[in-house]
Amino acid sequence: MAKSARSGSTDSGQAHWIEWLTGSLSAICVISLIGWVGFEAMTQNEAPPVLSVSIVSSEARPGGYIVIFEVENAADRTAADVVVRGEITNGSSVVETVEVTLDYVPMHSRTRGGLIFRNDPEGRSRISATGFSEP
Amino acid sequence: MAIDRTSIDFDHSRFAKGLARGLAGALVFALPMFLTMEMWELGLYIDRSRLLLLLLVNIPLLILLARRIGFENISTWREAVRDASIAYFLGLTASAFVLSAIGVLSAAQALPGAAGMIAIQTVPASIGALLGRSELGQRDEDDEDAQDPIDDDMQTGYGGELFMMAVGALFLGLNVAPTEEMILISFKMSPWHAIALIVSSILLMHGFVYALSFLGGHELEEGTPGWHALIRFTMPGYMIAFSISLYCLWTFHRLDGIALTQAIMSTVVLAFPSAIGAAAARLIL
Repeated sequence: MAKSARSGSTDSGQAHWIEWLTGSLSAICVISLIGWVGFEAMTQNEAPPVLSVSIVSSEARPGGYIVIFEVENAADRTAADVVVRGEITNGSSVVETVEVTLDYVPMHSRTRGGLIFRNDPEGRSRISATGFSEP
Repeated sequence: MAIDRTSIDFDHSRFAKGLARGLAGALVFALPMFLTMEMWELGLYIDRSRLLLLLLVNIPLLILLARRIGFENISTWREAVRDASIAYFLGLTASAFVLSAIGVLSAAQALPGAAGMIAIQTVPASIGALLGRSELGQRDEDDEDAQDPIDDDMQTGYGGELFMMAVGALFLGLNVAPTEEMILISFKMSPWHAIALIVSSILLMHGFVYALSFLGGHELEEGTPGWHALIRFTMPGYMIAFSISLYCLWTFHRLDGIALTQAIMSTVVLAFPSAIGAAAARLIL
């Protein structure tokens, strides 16, 4: 409230050393921030997302078998609306198919999700990413 | 001042007015967040230890804020703590009331989820309540304050200036931090966009305070080079806005499992509104 300075104030030209210390540290941080992002800008490439799915855990629960999986994106671009499909196969025939869509799998990051099967997926499940869009 | 006041001359209407202003402030500041879907969902799934940390961090923030820009001439820490508690309570009331009124909270809901939804909204609402009690306050009281040399000294202190920037950054940053757009924009951006955004945030901050002659703007003393203020005020201001953005995004689970570069880019996006808020706070508060 009440800033005397509703009409403006003058910053003193004589600064305490703490102000210079804070200022210099901040300036160094900002410069390294720009430097880091700049380095990334130079080295990143425009290749499409590379998605791989790995199973984290699988357990039987009332209502079905829950398989928790993790999608990793190894590329420099983010994938959106990633569709992950899980299949349970019996020999050459597919017994059950479940699908889930993840909102985002950002670059070099992991996103977790879960699939719920009615049949026991132990040893005969296949989980893979089947599609994505650009954000 | 409250300290001289006995129970006999306690002004009930003035106190009630103060509470009403606090509620109004909570609404003005937090209404955008009350009406944001992501905030409701966050209340359900936010990690409880992060929520606790947020609620705890809010306490010293409110006390410092009350000390600096409280409703009345606040001269003691005791009064600041009192005002902060009232603001916290007003924030809680406002969020419980609004969330029930818009049908987001229902009696059938499980208690932990409902408590989380109210608690997460309480933080912005309580900041708003405190700001409302002072900013919507009567001008004649404020003018008395302006004449107070001690208060004036506090207003222009370096630490105080940085604190006000932090509050301004929270003010604008919190409004957009929970939305999905923050991360979506960072996914769409290339690192070059991010660099451009950092540079323009800093330039805009500096321009807001020094170049454009807004009412309440700052001017440099004669003979001080322009880059002095850039180093002493704008750069720390940007880092404050950046840190607050980082904390908000982390609290709202936007950085979980995300690579460092992507996290930095999301923070840069949120730091843009935060930086503008920080600069505006130096003019307004």
